[in-house]
Amino acid sequence: MSKLASLEESAASVEDGSHIAFGGFAITRCVVAVAHALVRARRRDLTLSQVVGGFDTDLLVGGGCVTRLAYSGGSLDRFGSLHAVNRAILEHEIDAEEYSSLALTLRLHAGGLGLPFIPTRSMLGSDLIADFADNSDAVRTGSDPFTGATVALLAPLRPDVAFIHVDVADEAGNATIGGPTWGMRETAFAAKRTVLLTEAVVAVGAIDPNSVAIPAPVVSSVIHAPSGAFPTAVVGRYDYNREHLTAYAAASKAGGSAYAEFLDEYVFAVNSHAEYLALAGGEPSA
Amino acid sequence: MSAWTPREMMVVAASHEIADGELILVGLGVPQIAALLAKATHAPDVTLALELGVIAAHPTESAMGIADPRMWQGAQAVCGMIDVLGYLLHGGRVTMGILGALEVDTAGSANSSVITQNDGTKRRFTGSGGANDIASLAGRVMIVMSHDPRKFRDRVEFLTSPGRRVNGGPRAAAGLSGLGTASIVTDRAVIDVDDDGLRLRSVHPGEDAAAVVADTPVALRSDGVVEAPPPSSNELRLIREEFDTQGWYTS
Repeated sequence: MSKLASLEESAASVEDGSHIAFGGFAITRCVVAVAHALVRARRRDLTLSQVVGGFDTDLLVGGGCVTRLAYSGGSLDRFGSLHAVNRAILEHEIDAEEYSSLALTLRLHAGGLGLPFIPTRSMLGSDLIADFADNSDAVRTGSDPFTGATVALLAPLRPDVAFIHVDVADEAGNATIGGPTWGMRETAFAAKRTVLLTEAVVAVGAIDPNSVAIPAPVVSSVIHAPSGAFPTAVVGRYDYNREHLTAYAAASKAGGSAYAEFLDEYVFAVNSHAEYLALAGGEPSA
Repeated sequence: MSAWTPREMMVVAASHEIADGELILVGLGVPQIAALLAKATHAPDVTLALELGVIAAHPTESAMGIADPRMWQGAQAVCGMIDVLGYLLHGGRVTMGILGALEVDTAGSANSSVITQNDGTKRRFTGSGGANDIASLAGRVMIVMSHDPRKFRDRVEFLTSPGRRVNGGPRAAAGLSGLGTASIVTDRAVIDVDDDGLRLRSVHPGEDAAAVVADTPVALRSDGVVEAPPPSSNELRLIREEFDTQGWYTS
């Protein structure tokens, strides 16, 4: 059965108030095409979980779609901070849960495995863990039943929908990811529905099974989204776009009308990712 | 080779903290340059790993961050966060982590999350990422940062990454593994962190120990301080011609 779907119908299937997860990391493999579609569709009250925040995180928060964020921090690397995210947190427009990278990845791992919880030694004794309430449904401090040692206990995390940008996917949803995978596999395995944005679509059987990073049984939909991570990088395919990221970082830092004008020009005034690529200087990848 | 900058000396001093054969988790910038410098000089069997799943890369271009694929060039293995932060770090195989910091306290705990500015407004920074994991779990940690008096605090504003002691007690009692912060390398000095707090070990060439102590507004022992040797011409050449060709981090 082909799982091919359109970007628009996949974005439309995300309901207001739902819990989504993004696979991007700073300036690489950000799910820009879907972040734009959600901002354009004026989705509201979303919970966003993302191991390390990046361009897609800042867009979705800056676009007003998010009310709750679970992440371990993030940036646009040397292009700048996640200014829209930071502003929204400082102005109490969103509630943020801050983790370490490993702790949030472990929550997703536990979600994918169906574990009741997962213990770790990370975050203990820090203000990260202190900021979770004693009766938090996400992170608590407990003791190892075998040794009595203090451990952090992490609840499993199961987003409603995860969006991950991959290199090649077949029509069933088997997918390859070139380069490092940070928390993308754990995110894909944890979500109740996983939607892949892919540079290329091939027939089932055309992918070397040794290179599959995300297998079909955990994938709900496959969206053909060439250059879908532009202006962020996909290793081996395209570099980040320095000019556009610089322009975005400046608008995000300025906030207010400058940021609104940026979103108007590059998100609301365009109807598709292909139009955005034409406008912002991206080449559709082959 | 011409005179060196304080930040070049900081990188050189940091590289001298690294022993051969270590498995090191690093971030972008000065920590990475220090580790690459060590590998190119006295520690050829050092292995560097990046939290997002890159092992033993050998970048040849200046990168915009750890998410810049230029940082992953020449990697011997690519994998994921569970592999690096889980199996290698949580599994106890990482001997050293190198972190930057907005602020440190006398236990070597670090803030990389948020600072209240002079006008009373808060400014948020990168946050933890893998920094808390590294500080919680690595064999030991080195912090590399500029010697700004505002960065030394009795209590950091936000404790992103735990240090040598936690809540005044031993870190093992809090459930953490590894030694915690062992040293803080700045652009003026090298400071050891032990169970009693901070001790000025060495000052960079031309620095006066008393002046460094005066610019470190927390308890800092300063008996037996030595002056470190200056960078060698080979170290300066490697920094300028191979690891920071744009001068982004060390000029």
